[in-house]
Amino acid sequence: MFVLSLLLLCSIFGAAEPGGNGDSLQDLQCGGACHGDASINETSTTILSLSTDETIYVGIPTTITLTVTNFETSTSGLIGLFLLTDMTGHSDMPQDAGWEILSDANGGAMNYIEQTLGPGQNETSISWVVRASSLGSTTFYAAIHHGGGYSSPYFGSTASGHEVSVQPVPENLPRLTADFTPPTLRIIDTPTELSIQTQFTETIQFEWKSEDGLIMNSIVNSSGENSWTTTIPAALQSTTVHWRVILEGEGPAQTTPWFILAAEESSWEIEESTVYLQAFALLFMAAGIVILLQTRLTSSPSFAKYDETSVVDEALGAYQNTSPGTTLAPIPEGGLPNGWSEEQWELHGHDYLAGKYGGDQA
Amino acid sequence: MNSSETFHVVATELVVGAFSVAGLSFTLLLLVHFGILKQPSWISMFDHVAHFTLTFGLAATPFAILSGLSSAPGEGLNSPILVNKIFLSMTGFGFAVGCLIVRWRLGNNVWDSKKSTSFHVASGLAACGLMLLTASAGGTFSRGESLLDMFHLPYEHVLLFPILVSLISLFLGLAILVLSWKRMNAISSIH
Repeated sequence: MFVLSLLLLCSIFGAAEPGGNGDSLQDLQCGGACHGDASINETSTTILSLSTDETIYVGIPTTITLTVTNFETSTSGLIGLFLLTDMTGHSDMPQDAGWEILSDANGGAMNYIEQTLGPGQNETSISWVVRASSLGSTTFYAAIHHGGGYSSPYFGSTASGHEVSVQPVPENLPRLTADFTPPTLRIIDTPTELSIQTQFTETIQFEWKSEDGLIMNSIVNSSGENSWTTTIPAALQSTTVHWRVILEGEGPAQTTPWFILAAEESSWEIEESTVYLQAFALLFMAAGIVILLQTRLTSSPSFAKYDETSVVDEALGAYQNTSPGTTLAPIPEGGLPNGWSEEQWELHGHDYLAGKYGGDQA
Repeated sequence: MNSSETFHVVATELVVGAFSVAGLSFTLLLLVHFGILKQPSWISMFDHVAHFTLTFGLAATPFAILSGLSSAPGEGLNSPILVNKIFLSMTGFGFAVGCLIVRWRLGNNVWDSKKSTSFHVASGLAACGLMLLTASAGGTFSRGESLLDMFHLPYEHVLLFPILVSLISLFLGLAILVLSWKRMNAISSIH
């Protein structure tokens, strides 16, 4: 009871998912579910501010930037940030409103991302590259999870949305094709060859920068009409590279948003059949050893149940007590009667002397 | 229709809850048997609770393992933690099966001697410990932390036998199981 009470008390000081939940596609309801009403009802001085390009065309990637200021964090410095398209709590991801997320600030393509900030840092800015699939207007919202140094964790969202209007693409505007999807991950130690498809483009410049911010250029080769290839040097560690292209053609030159490409270790692999074989070997070995040793250590239930030694001893004692005497019958002067053995005399000597066997000493 | 993630959470809660109660009951049973807890009348109660909850947890374990495999992100066994979870849960499953079989076949005779009592309780506790360790590895996998992080358990390392060793172990385990089963049946046939 004491231990259970202690565990229940400890839960008061805990926080839901203090280690984060990982980047993912999440609606607002996820935040409420993980942190509960207590975190929603907390107050925070955090200011969330969304910004976008002035002009957004349908089918062309654009950047949405979220600037977060004046927040506090737990000791881990972890915060979670959402990009949403309404505040109903469900079906409110950009995808639900016809927007595609092409890359996020962590090198994925998620609407919920987590960032670990340094001690004392209370301001950050992150970007999503998104693409609208239809004309019209959409209102974007942002939400944040953050811990608290001296207060409870907070979960809240922007007070008002940021409305964007999607316009039709001008004629002959150089652009990426509407179905171009930039890669978001690559393997460490391996150069990345990018294949880029464009429309209404005559020349292309490729720029990339690593985390130090220095912008570099790579040679772009044409692999056909409106098709280009270029190579980004291999990453030596887990890091991100930002890249963009400057497209030139008949229409006005266009610069794409910075796309993010993260490098990670090659995925961990193992021979699954070997794992399952070993797992079943462990199962049978464990069960077999337990049964074998327990059988050896435990006295046989059947032997114990049918062990009549005490009953026999008791009966024998009773027999001996009821015998004429506990001492041996004296051997006649002429020795043992004919045909008698010493063992027979020990057992039945008294009866012989009593004349029960035709003895002559009645 | 519930997702496999939700089903996995339900199944693991059943497994962890049942094995926790079983572990607690086995521990108290040991204390009573060795006279540390002077309540002999509790023996029967803890005996029944420990083995019932162990059986219940055992019944829920396959659902937890299968739903865990289908709900893991990515394809297949793409993390050493997942592999360690499989090894831990299957070994715990084996200990639990062995513990329950001997209790069923040998009856109250498992409590006859101190050695036998100690071994039986140890096998039950090993099953519970391994299942709770599996749950801890699950916490590390999904949330990046667990209650047992203070022990710095090497979840990222996998002790994988060569396939020949696994094969030999499998047949050896099966042989031991069959021989032990025959030995128990031979004893029982005297009845």
